[in-house]
Amino acid sequence: MYAYQLESNPYPSSPTPTEKDARILGGKRHKEAKSAILECIKELNTKVGGRDSNDGDFRVITLIQDVGSGKTHLALHIKHLQSRHNTVCTFLDLSTISPKTMSSLCNAIIKGFENEFFVQLRTKLVEYIRDRAEQGDNSAKKTLDYSFMNKLSGMTIKQKAEDLISGKASVSIENLKKFLVQWFNYYESNLIRNIITNSFDTVQNLEELLGMMAAISKLSHRFLNKIVLYEIDEFDGNQESIEFVKGIINAHLPASILLLISTPSGYAEIQGKNHSVFDRLEKANYKIDLAGSNSQEELLEIVLEYIKHNDKKGKFTQKTQDELAEKIRVLYDEFPEFRSVRSIINILYHAMEKSAELDLEKIDETAIDESIKHTYPGLKVRGSIMAIPISDFITLRRTCDGESTGLQLKRAVANLANFAHEMGNIGKLEKQNQPLDVIYQDPYGSKIGIAVVVNENHTKNYEEISNISKSSALVDKLVILTNSNIPSSESTTIVNVDKSKMVDLLYFNNKYTDHKIATLDNEKAQMLAKTVSII
Amino acid sequence: MSKEILGRIASAGLNDIKKAELKKTFGKDCDDILQNLIDKEQVFVKKKGVAYFVWTRDNYILHLSQNDPKFKIVLNMVMGISHSVAKVKEHTNNIREEVTRISQQNMVNPKSDFKAEFDRRMIESSTSIGWAPFSEIRKKICESKKISTENFYSMATDLVKRHREKYEVSSGGHEGIIMRGLVHGYVRNV
Repeated sequence: MYAYQLESNPYPSSPTPTEKDARILGGKRHKEAKSAILECIKELNTKVGGRDSNDGDFRVITLIQDVGSGKTHLALHIKHLQSRHNTVCTFLDLSTISPKTMSSLCNAIIKGFENEFFVQLRTKLVEYIRDRAEQGDNSAKKTLDYSFMNKLSGMTIKQKAEDLISGKASVSIENLKKFLVQWFNYYESNLIRNIITNSFDTVQNLEELLGMMAAISKLSHRFLNKIVLYEIDEFDGNQESIEFVKGIINAHLPASILLLISTPSGYAEIQGKNHSVFDRLEKANYKIDLAGSNSQEELLEIVLEYIKHNDKKGKFTQKTQDELAEKIRVLYDEFPEFRSVRSIINILYHAMEKSAELDLEKIDETAIDESIKHTYPGLKVRGSIMAIPISDFITLRRTCDGESTGLQLKRAVANLANFAHEMGNIGKLEKQNQPLDVIYQDPYGSKIGIAVVVNENHTKNYEEISNISKSSALVDKLVILTNSNIPSSESTTIVNVDKSKMVDLLYFNNKYTDHKIATLDNEKAQMLAKTVSII
Repeated sequence: MSKEILGRIASAGLNDIKKAELKKTFGKDCDDILQNLIDKEQVFVKKKGVAYFVWTRDNYILHLSQNDPKFKIVLNMVMGISHSVAKVKEHTNNIREEVTRISQQNMVNPKSDFKAEFDRRMIESSTSIGWAPFSEIRKKICESKKISTENFYSMATDLVKRHREKYEVSSGGHEGIIMRGLVHGYVRNV
């Protein structure tokens, strides 16, 4: 059993999305982009509904964003929704086709459709021939190989057509060709023949390829009442890719949408290689914008969506969502490595596996720490003097915004001064004398006073610092540790305590109070004491 | 023994401790040690009637500030003057800093100036999808500001990192800022 009582790991493990992974789509911006694409599909469907499609019924959508931002995921998600939106969709990844010959591109387009699409189209086409035959079209009857003997034996045209659909009978190719040429153009005839015989001709040139694509679009609309969405991924400055896409745009495929997926660098390559294509892309009907796709909030929504989608038992409550979100926020803030969807999903995949191994109820700091150790072995908390393990860092970093932080830091600073005394760096500590938190003598006999002023409210900090400054007469040197950005004055040394220093101090304090300061930690703790002006 | 005597005196806090009591506890040598502490101004001894009473220096000041109205007034006056002086000093420092800041701003404020110029050039260089190549922005800014390519990328990296929520960068291209070991050659506003 996985964390949150999930029966399987909800996170994908493949470096690029698969169709199965793409069934889940999270994130506000990704959902907005999805809505824009569906809007385009709806608009075209409305426009071509109830009439023949023509070359004016063609749309271009561009989706340009950095690698790892979820473009392919979005495209595959839309493909998964095709049946719900009166669309058939083919997904073509140009990076997987080499060399990009017309034949290989054609094969990839055909393979990109669901098998079900050709089955449906084949059925409709046979039914069309059947209807013609039933209306007395001899050419259609010959196509179905429906003879006088069949009629005498009581077999109907319908039965003959059903045998053909189920594969029990086959058509006469020569008769089929003769029939089709009366009702369809050259490319449509070829395509219908290919579909009915389940055997596709090899295309030799761009003209044939575009003819076949136009035929697919036309026949899908006419017989299935569906528009075709061509999704072309990894479109870049490759010459063959550019020629191919230019051809599609210029061909104005009827009742079709061309979704082009690229990166800003790919887009710039196209601009440099072919102004004409670039100009066409600039004039795309829809430019899908995934701006902010790697922002913290977007990433959070995406990763939480995976668990929510699989949470059949309702164990992923708002509280547990918030807890996990806090941990992810720390990872996002502190480690640039985890500022992309792929990297954070990868960590959560491994953390989820760890949760099953350790039988954890939820993904905790340990699971994340272990996952990071295995997947990013060299990763360390940047700027940490105490070399804090990532799990401790996540825990402590989250508590840094709490109301009790100030009190904890006071105790940490007092203990750090005790430690410095034990190490012989400073003289004996004197009794605490409010408002100072620590008073001691430095090695030269000067009396040092330290006060910790850490509040969320900076106005409160200024007031406290102003009051404490009055105590400067009681000591030779006054040091104030604060999270407010205040310059030191003649009488007071101000030490700025940022979040990473707070975490270091709290980590030291935990170790010190638990008597777990090892010999190896001594030097680090002394360094920490120096950074806060104790030594 | 000096430390122990001092500790005993300190433990009495604001309340005094009789010299006789210390003698009783620490013996004859107590007199010399006390004299030594008095010389170092670590303790204060006061005669009341026939007995001598001892405080640590800090505790005696606090004792006086609480029990002696005259001392309290004098201390407040001194502290008041001291704070006034400190405030005036601080105020002067603030004014000095402000004057420096404004004068620097009037001459050239590198960071805000760079940001404004960067934003302007980015808009100029971007395509309809909003992305602009760093190389083009760099060319324009290096020419107008007379700064080196290294300087430009150092400032651009700093700008993008400081305003993470405002700029989005994309990998690829021949030049740009380095993030996670990758050249990010494109930038845009979010």
